[in-house]
Amino acid sequence: MGPTPTITIHVPGALRAYCAGAAQLSISANTVGAALRDLERNQSALYRNICDETGTVRRHLNVFVNSDNVRDLGGIDTPLMPGDLVTILPAVSGG
Amino acid sequence: MADRVILTIGTRKGVFVAESAKPRRSFALRGPFGPGVPVYSTLIDTRATPRLYASSCNPFFGMKVLRSTNMGKSFTETKSAPAFPKEDGRALANIWSFEAGGGKKELWCGVEPAALFKSDDGGDSWEMVSAISNHKHARKWQPGAGGLCMHTIIRDGNRVHLGISTGGHYLSEDGGETFRASNQGVGAGFAPDPYPEFGQCVHKIARHDDAPGRLYMQNHGGWADWTGPGGPRPDIGVLRSDDHGRSWRSIAKGLPSDFGFPIVVHPNDADTVYVMPLEAATRSCPGGAPAVWRSENGGNSWSRLARGLPKKQSYFTILRDAMDIDRLKTPALYFGTTTGQLWIGREGGEQWDCLFDSLPPIHNVKVAVV
Repeated sequence: MGPTPTITIHVPGALRAYCAGAAQLSISANTVGAALRDLERNQSALYRNICDETGTVRRHLNVFVNSDNVRDLGGIDTPLMPGDLVTILPAVSGG
Repeated sequence: MADRVILTIGTRKGVFVAESAKPRRSFALRGPFGPGVPVYSTLIDTRATPRLYASSCNPFFGMKVLRSTNMGKSFTETKSAPAFPKEDGRALANIWSFEAGGGKKELWCGVEPAALFKSDDGGDSWEMVSAISNHKHARKWQPGAGGLCMHTIIRDGNRVHLGISTGGHYLSEDGGETFRASNQGVGAGFAPDPYPEFGQCVHKIARHDDAPGRLYMQNHGGWADWTGPGGPRPDIGVLRSDDHGRSWRSIAKGLPSDFGFPIVVHPNDADTVYVMPLEAATRSCPGGAPAVWRSENGGNSWSRLARGLPKKQSYFTILRDAMDIDRLKTPALYFGTTTGQLWIGREGGEQWDCLFDSLPPIHNVKVAVV
């Protein structure tokens, strides 16, 4: 197994207050799930906005790796490659 | 500073605060705070320097608790919101009720799925109250149309009354160490057994300090014509207890419908109680003509209060926490509608005026004189 890839997490504007205003976070993770666990450890306030108490990504959020929704890949087991961009976006819904 | 009347108005698009001098001729509106996010519960905590609380129930990013220490000029998030322990398996879906606790900064909070949390530091940290949240019935409660919510918390010394939809009324007589279902006389229309031990769809419970043991309940009525197993269940919607909620009896006779959501007691007279009857099928005002109904004898008879309210073509709903009454000598009632109107019922509901007519849909209205 090679070194853990460094990837970038794009933080939506509504959540930047929970990570000191950062628009992007650079972390090392092999999978989307590992990236979320890294947030749980190091950005707990941000993490609570993304995942509920059970560790599940909140129902109305979508997680993309580059331009693909992880729902269409491997879910939180989706592997990450060096330089990948993980984007967290609210689903378009509501009224 | 002279007394001010403060309203917190929880809406589908955030919380508003309205303020007036004591005559209540007009109210100045501030907000929305937590803009765009539904607010189902608010609390005006007057135990010390007034603090306002609002739940901010963000469907995208989860639940927050907002707090204001400047009478609603601004709100900030508390350090944390209630959350189930990770190993519990449940996830918070909504925050339905706040209640001031015993200590100066103690807060109680009812949530969806139905569970109870306590804070000792004004909402910065929370602990689940296991006695009810892990009650042997808890995993058998079912969600009503609004979700499986703990919407009512009433503290009365060592007694704690909880209202759960659909779970029923639960009573603790040891300060919340233990709870038991206490639903004798509380009917259910959606189960073969008309009077089950628990599982009723209680909509709201109210009490008065001057009448020990007296409680009023708006239950899920509208089952008079039921023809299924167990037969019709008329008048199960509006109830009264005189023994601290151990047993309940109907006081619905004389109302146009026993279905409704809020129930409110007059601050200076425990025999005066207000409900807002709705048609069960539509959850809207009977005949399109809204009216608050008042009993001045503890529910033995009822009279209609509608002066100033629309006489026709008004089909709004008043939700369970969207009616309150202030504590002035001649109190005013307030209710908010799902169509975004905020009404004041002056002289104890004798004369109604619309204070604001185009707010977002209103979930919650609380009032205090500070």
